[in-house]
Amino acid sequence: MKPTFFRLIRYALQYKRMLTEAFGLLLVATTASVLGPYLIKVFIDNFLTKGRWDMWPILGLAVAYIAAQLIGAYTLLAKAMRFNRIALNVIQTLREQLFAHVLRLPIAYFDKTATGSLISRITNDTEAIKDLYVNVISGFAQNTVRIFGILIAMSFLDARLMWICAALVPIAVILMFSYQKISTPVFQRARTLLTDINTRLNESIEGMSVIQLTNQQAAFTRAFSKTSTEHYHARVKNTLIDGLMLRALIDFIYALLLGALLLGFGILELSKTGAVQIGVIYAFINYLGGVTQPLIDMTSRLNMAQQALVSASRVFKLLDEPEIRDKKTPCIPQRTDIQFDVNRFSYDGKKDVLQNVHFKVQKGDFIGIVGHTGSGKSTLMSLLMDFYPVTDGQISIGGIALDDLTDRQRTKLIGFVQQDAFIFSGTIADNIRLEQPLSEDEIVEAAKQAQLHEAIMAMPDGYQTVLADRGKNLSAGQRQLLSLARTLARKPRILILDEATANIDSHTERLIQTSLMQLRGSVTLMAIAHRLSTVRGADQLYVLHQGHMQQHGTHQELMQVEGLYRHMYELQLRADPTAE
Amino acid sequence: MSVLLKLAWFFRQEWRRYGMASLALVGVGLLTMIPPWMIGHIVDSLADGTVTRPALYRRVGTIAVAAVGSYILRVVWRIALFGASFKLANQLRRKLFMHFTLQPPGFYQKMTTGDLMARATNDIRAVEMTAGEAVLALFDGAFTGLLVLVMMTVFISWPLTLVALIPWPIVGYFMWRFGRQLHASFKDAQARFSDLNDDVQESISALRLTRAFGRESAEQEQFNQIATAASQANMDVARTDSKYDPAIQLGIGFSFFLSVAGGAFLIYHGRLTLGQLTSFTLYLGYMIWPMFAIGWLLNLVERGQAAYQRIEELLAMKPDIADEGNIADSLNPDLSMNIDRFAYENGNDILKNIQVGLPAGHMLGIVGHTGSGKSTLVNLLLRLNESPHAAITLGGYPLSQLSLDNLRAHIATVPQTPFLFSTTIAENIALAKPEATQAEIEQAAKTAQIHDDIIRFPDGYQTPVGERGVTLSGGQKQRIAIARALLLDAPVLVLDDALSAVDVKTEQSILRHLREVRRGKSTVMVCHRLSAVETAHEIIVLHQGGIAERGSHNELLKEDGWYRKTYDYQQLEQTVEEGR
Repeated sequence: MKPTFFRLIRYALQYKRMLTEAFGLLLVATTASVLGPYLIKVFIDNFLTKGRWDMWPILGLAVAYIAAQLIGAYTLLAKAMRFNRIALNVIQTLREQLFAHVLRLPIAYFDKTATGSLISRITNDTEAIKDLYVNVISGFAQNTVRIFGILIAMSFLDARLMWICAALVPIAVILMFSYQKISTPVFQRARTLLTDINTRLNESIEGMSVIQLTNQQAAFTRAFSKTSTEHYHARVKNTLIDGLMLRALIDFIYALLLGALLLGFGILELSKTGAVQIGVIYAFINYLGGVTQPLIDMTSRLNMAQQALVSASRVFKLLDEPEIRDKKTPCIPQRTDIQFDVNRFSYDGKKDVLQNVHFKVQKGDFIGIVGHTGSGKSTLMSLLMDFYPVTDGQISIGGIALDDLTDRQRTKLIGFVQQDAFIFSGTIADNIRLEQPLSEDEIVEAAKQAQLHEAIMAMPDGYQTVLADRGKNLSAGQRQLLSLARTLARKPRILILDEATANIDSHTERLIQTSLMQLRGSVTLMAIAHRLSTVRGADQLYVLHQGHMQQHGTHQELMQVEGLYRHMYELQLRADPTAE
Repeated sequence: MSVLLKLAWFFRQEWRRYGMASLALVGVGLLTMIPPWMIGHIVDSLADGTVTRPALYRRVGTIAVAAVGSYILRVVWRIALFGASFKLANQLRRKLFMHFTLQPPGFYQKMTTGDLMARATNDIRAVEMTAGEAVLALFDGAFTGLLVLVMMTVFISWPLTLVALIPWPIVGYFMWRFGRQLHASFKDAQARFSDLNDDVQESISALRLTRAFGRESAEQEQFNQIATAASQANMDVARTDSKYDPAIQLGIGFSFFLSVAGGAFLIYHGRLTLGQLTSFTLYLGYMIWPMFAIGWLLNLVERGQAAYQRIEELLAMKPDIADEGNIADSLNPDLSMNIDRFAYENGNDILKNIQVGLPAGHMLGIVGHTGSGKSTLVNLLLRLNESPHAAITLGGYPLSQLSLDNLRAHIATVPQTPFLFSTTIAENIALAKPEATQAEIEQAAKTAQIHDDIIRFPDGYQTPVGERGVTLSGGQKQRIAIARALLLDAPVLVLDDALSAVDVKTEQSILRHLREVRRGKSTVMVCHRLSAVETAHEIIVLHQGGIAERGSHNELLKEDGWYRKTYDYQQLEQTVEEGR
């Protein structure tokens, strides 16, 4: 936990100026608030008990008191604002760093990490760190300064009696540490049990039909009751510890010290070592209360601190995940022919998803990659997109290995149309443009090429139609067309279609094919298609089966032999009778 | 406040704890009044020099005794009161869980898991706080507040009390204003935070697109903007939130100022002593918390009220399938279904004219296209739905005459989507029969063709399922669900499209083993793939809710209907899947 804490502190140290200001203000605020009881003491001892009623000096005291209160309140506010600003700046920095980092993580990381927890790292955990800064660190700073300020003020009044009150500090520190030690395991246990309860509950609700069909209601209720009751016991224990050690104990010690203090004053008076001034007693009693409050405050924030540190360590763990490697010397490919030489590829290191896939795509060719579900065709395209590194083998474009291409060049070169088109909230035009500096005409041109123009024009706001909720107001086919238009607008030299026309009716598909054929010769086109009619016209078809190349040739060639391609084709001529 | 009346049953049930807590709280309140009083006397005796050792010791001793008493009573009320409120939470949670187990599938279609979870977590927490913290606030606010007020007005000086309390209505007004501002800015901050969540979610979903288009910087820029907005909204919250402390400090400062000024005036006129003034300022310190407690109390009760009402509504929901059957004996498992028509509420007929019987020991196949009514038929058979126009009998008795328990003991079901709990594989298989031996579990697993997969997992049968253990494929989950149902060895086994994710070879192997172990028992096989029903004694083909074809596999093949067409299609599909 310590390294996590110091790493967090380092972020705050970036804001030296604001920190200095905050601490300066804190000192002023503390001085002002400590001054109050002192001024009252002066009033009591110099005027009230002596029966001196000089108007001007008393008025002076009153003005000083009010001024101290106002300055104290203002500086307290200004200090809190500084601390908040520092905390929020740190969180902003952390969030930006985290997000940038997540964008640079290998795709494989996302395959094994639940999106929910990743989001939580960037949002909830950083929010918890904010609480650490605002409530815990700034609170501790304020309370510590306050305690020392009060002790110093006390020592001016009476050094001997100050030490009685100072006894509270080590006692409280020991208390805090032992509380932390004793309560942490109980507290953690209660938390774990609560998580268990929620998991169990959630799972039981989701799986209720299974529980009921197997007649296990009673057993599940029993198990749930057991966890819930254990949680109850843990909390009672937790409360007992809190009750014994927190507020009640500090209040107790406070009352004892108060007694000791008065005893001290009484003995001083009795021993005639010097007449006790009533104002001093007044101030001391006031100050003692001022020392107790911060201590109670700090003890009750310890658990919050611990939770926040857990969040922080999760955040740092994510930040320490290795990013995708940087490319070596960037080379600019002069040609756009693609050479696939994949000896083998596996996601998990055990099961090969691709083996011995070797072929070459000439510039301007149209090739189709077909195969049954799980044949590895999408994986092959993911490799070309450099989503996963090829570990055994190599893919090169224009003779340059993917490894040597920078992301920038690769993205300029290759246009990739995914199966699930991602629609951003915004207008249709925005969705085609994204952040490219495209003119209206270029957008319309791309939409026409993708056969989406007419559908857009039929919408009330045309290209300015706002797409809400990930494009729920578009059909699945229209979303795919939009994705195609977006890619075509960037005029890629290599175009990859990954099941990009799966949800498009056959009429529109034919139209798209016509547009794509116009690109033929200038743009290298690779299409993955489950629907074979899409790739019928390809220069070359590659048929994958369980990760290896089973057949290749043109449609005509492949149809002439009895084999996988022909059977797939025949299958698709019929409609699946089990589908509605 | 009516929620406190509604919870009266619980206060009665826990009258000992609440009684003890009340007594302890009253005791603490009374004891708290002692130290300031004693301090006043000590100060007076010091001021006029009448202090004596015995009197000093007696007074300090009283303070110490009061401190010890307060400490003990504080621990007591905390345990009694919070213990009781935790108990309420435990009781309600268990009651809700029990209630959940009685609800039919319709209930879970109406209510989302999130909703139910919110009832069982947040709402219970709110009610718990009403039974704990709110009761505390009631005592602290009302009782302690009044007690202090009595001490200040009756025993010291009512005019001074009036003067000293002048700042508080003003502070209260500002608190109220801050509260309103805070509410507004807090809502805004929450909205910005959820924007942040949405943005991260969207960015992670669109990650491949981002990589393919090289639009990392655009994503980052958008995120930074949204994070900045969130940060600014948080700053607005902080701006208001930071005003609370200075405002309270000012209130306290001025209150003290006024009491010392007013006190000095009274002392000058000989109507107050210095000791009384000291006591007074100490009592004044005790007034601060009760003033906040009232506001807190109202807030807690309001939230508890709404929460308790939602929980009550949930508990009032009655299952629409009444479990009133009283036949609890084993019956001869002859099934007969006689369905004139069946429709869901306000819907079209899903099933019509279905007459089919399943003699003990036979296998019935139910096939048909998606949406033909297969699942509805299974639901009626399991009495998850019922209708007067759908007569289904088991051993000659209508299903409603059997207790639900007994019905489910007769029919073991493998549902369409297998649901596994996050425990070990062994426990998942033995879900319906927790007392099953390892040998029995393994036997069931072998029949379901999952045994070999299981022993390859790191901990074999003891491997946990889910996040903390192995991630299972759809086919593996289905086979575990089959093993689970087999272990019951029920007279009737219903497989509701339970082999869809299993390949044909494994499917055939499972079926072969099933025939052996289930000799003499009945099976209902609902499926998409016809290979699963080849050996059925009778197969019915559903089409738009009615029986379109019926007969054995061979008979149906001869008819040139849906069955024949589907069979041919699936044969070809199989060829393609095998890569031929």
